[in-house]
Formats: sequence, structure tokens, C-alpha cells
Amino acid sequence: MEIVRKTKSVCPVCLRQIPAEKVRRDGAVYLEKECPEHGHFSSVVWRDQEDFAEWTGDVPEMGADENLNCPSGCGLCPDHKRDTCCVLLEITDRCNLNCRHCFADNHQGEDPSLDQVKAWLRDLTVPGKTLVQLSGGEPTVRDDLPEIVAYAKEVGCKYVQLNSNGLRLAEDEDFTRRLAEAGLSFVFLQFDGTGDKVWQKLRGRPLMEIKEQAIANCGKYHVGVTLVPTLVPGVNINEIGDILKFAVKQSPAVRGVHFQPVSYMGKMPEPPKDEDRFTLDQLIFEIGKQASKLLSAESLVPSACDHPLCGFHGDFVVMPDRKLMPLTKRGVAQGECCCGVNTVDPAEKNREFVGRRWERRDEPEEEAAGNCCCCCDTGSLSMEGFLARAKSHGFTITAMAFQDAGNLDIERLRQCSLHVYKDGKHVPFCAYYLTPMG
Amino acid sequence: MSERKIICCRCNRELEPAQTFFRYLGHTFHTDILRCPECGEVYIPEELVKGRMAEVEQELEDK
Repeated sequence: MEIVRKTKSVCPVCLRQIPAEKVRRDGAVYLEKECPEHGHFSSVVWRDQEDFAEWTGDVPEMGADENLNCPSGCGLCPDHKRDTCCVLLEITDRCNLNCRHCFADNHQGEDPSLDQVKAWLRDLTVPGKTLVQLSGGEPTVRDDLPEIVAYAKEVGCKYVQLNSNGLRLAEDEDFTRRLAEAGLSFVFLQFDGTGDKVWQKLRGRPLMEIKEQAIANCGKYHVGVTLVPTLVPGVNINEIGDILKFAVKQSPAVRGVHFQPVSYMGKMPEPPKDEDRFTLDQLIFEIGKQASKLLSAESLVPSACDHPLCGFHGDFVVMPDRKLMPLTKRGVAQGECCCGVNTVDPAEKNREFVGRRWERRDEPEEEAAGNCCCCCDTGSLSMEGFLARAKSHGFTITAMAFQDAGNLDIERLRQCSLHVYKDGKHVPFCAYYLTPMG
Repeated sequence: MSERKIICCRCNRELEPAQTFFRYLGHTFHTDILRCPECGEVYIPEELVKGRMAEVEQELEDK
């Protein structure tokens, strides 16, 4: 057994902060920790499908005296390493589905009033900068959602994102039109597979037709859609390639795929077994295997804004023949100024990147823009053709691996840039939804 | 492209529009810019540098 790295975590039972080690044994990396009261816990975090040290790079190891109040003292404290990239605002607890894996509570309680939501939006918005994710529950169960979107824009949110299962977007076209007119920037659409078997298993009913209609309606009103699959071992891991192929076919209406390996938030009788976990390196491997005709895994690069173990991104352009032109490549230095110092805040840079890619930037009448951008003699691209095509058919493949009480790594948590707004505080996503097990 | 004539200071020849290739971060793009028909020197106008070239850079640069 080899100790790869020291960090801190929490006891999954009592949530107190405890020391933890990442150790390599039997060809995988595990987070191991010991609670003086509740005993020993281990959770697989990497399965060596990618070189762990190469992927994580030179992120500094946590010092023993750092982040002593993490995560019990959240909101953000001076020890937190990242500003807010995206801020998530829950506007309802209600939902019109009953999913097996959901980070949010599915109560059927009363919604916060419109005035309350407006006050929150005023408080959380940095005019001209904020990317707000309206979330829940299922936000579209609120009839006043278009007013909320319009108000978010009015107070200066640069991007307004909707996290949705798409039911109402599909079934109520007029509602989708009103959201678009209110200034909705893009939708994160729950999308777990291309066949109803997966939908039935994860979401309790067949939903494929509904998802396609939701994409069509958003496309009609020019609201970008990013597909968000929750990946669950034994359920939809073999859907990864088909989801990517489907998404590329739906470009430019679909702007990308954002994979989320399942995490175990919410009440669990006991920590999940290792075979219930799907690690980030496994995801990269499966993308390379199942979508080898579309892209190489080398186009997927570790997150620089959040911790490398929290996510990756690949940036592409869907070409007229439906092939992906990769813009990102591992090992290629990207966009540093000549002195090697990047002065832009990583959270702000990340926000602008995702905003630029996930929003529709082509005008409705420009659907065919940049259809011919190749020089037939040389195979190179004209600058003008490339720009038009990147604008209209940009496409991202991204992932975010959320953490739960079993695998929480405070080295990762302190670099989180996705924050939940609650009572005037910004709380890192995985700290906010952290729930004890057992 | 500007209407005024640009003369090559070395060859004293008027520059002519020609397809020219640019490489950045492993990608190659072409656009028409003025080039001396004799020595091949090109003239890259400021509006191209601050306009399309900067846009291409932004599209290619990682987040």
C-alpha cells in the first residue's frame, strides 16, 4: 500500500472533520479515514485508468493547520480558494418527478414568495458578472418562473441558467417561449440515456419523447440546452457513447453534455460500496472507448477552476459533417500571457467560458452560418468560417464529480467554485448537500 | 480591407491581397491579407489583429 497524499475529510456518520489519506492499493486509489467514534471508512476515488499524479498536477497538499472549520463553518471563509463561478438558487422544493438519485429534498412544501426570491437575487447578483442557476426541486413547477428569470436579468445577472427535467418545457411550449423572452440563457436538461429503459429505472417513467420535445422547444426559441446525465454503475454507463452521438446530432440546439457520476447525497442507510461508484478516470476511459469516432480522451483536460478531481472539460466545434473539431488538448499550454502569469480570476474565466459555449450565440436566422469554412485545397479553415462555426456550433463535453460524506475530500472542497446561495451565504455545493450516512 | 495602397518599403511594389496562413495553439487558419508579390512580406492591419485574430484566439484559449 502506498500513501499518495494526505488530506482531510469527514466522518460519514457524524460529519466531524477527520484526517484522511489517499492510498493506492490493488490498482486503485482510495480515500481512507478513521473516526475515533465510528471507525474506519474507505472509498474508491480513482481507478488508475488515467495517471493520477499527471491528472492532479501541482495542486498543493493541505497543511494540517488549514481549513480547520471545513465544512461545518461554511459559507465561504478566507481559507476557501475560489470565488464564485456559478451560484445556485433553490426556488422551490416541489418536483414533478420522483427520482432515485436526487441531491435536493423532494418536499411538496410551500414555495418561497416571488418577493423573497427577488430579494435573494438582488443580494446574490454582481451586476454584469453573475451566472445564476435556478434550481430546486423542479423550478418549472413555478408558474412565475418567467418573472423570476426576467428579474434576474433586470438586476444584472449575466447568465440565467435553468436546471430542469424538461417535462414542462416539452409539454407547455408557451411557457418555454415566455422563459426565452424573459432572457433565459440556457438549460441544464436532466438526460440519462437514449432509451426508455434507463428513464424508467432512474426516473420512474419513460421520458425519451419528452426530452426530445423539450430540446425541440428550446431550439425553437433559441435557448441553448446542455444535456446532464447522472451516471450510475449498472444502469447507464454503457449509454455514454450514445448520449454523446445524440447530442452532437442535435447541435446547435444542444450545446454540450455535462456528465455527473452519481454521488450519494440524501439519507443513506450506509455508505455506498465501491462498485456503486463511477470515478472520473473511468468516465474519461468510457468516453474514449464508446465515442472513439467522435473524439479522443486527450481532448478532455482537468478542471483548472475547480480541483482536477472534481471535473474536466473538452471544447469542440461540430463541423458540417457532424465530426467534432477539438479545440482543447492535454499538454498544450492555453491562453497564458507572455510572462506566464494569468491574471484573470479562474472562476471568472470559467464562467465566461461556459457562458460563451452554452448560450446560443448565433442569430435565429443564421442557422446555416459557417456551413463551408474549409479551404478545399489545404484542408485548413478560413478565419471567418471558423469564427462563424464556433459561434453557432460550439460544443462542450464536461463533467462534475460531486462528493458525498463517504468520499468528501476537503482539498477538493476548498477549491469549489459552484456555490449554493442560502440566507445570504455562499456555500460550496458539496458542503451544502452533505448528509450523514447510517 | 482598407482601400488605400500599401507599398512594400523594401521592394517598392504595391501589396496585393493573398491567402495567408496563421498558426495558433496547433490550429491553422487562413484569411486574405496584403502581401508583397516580390518578397512575400505581409501587412497585418490593426483591425485584423484586434478583431478577427483576437476572436480566434479567444475561441481557442482554454477556460
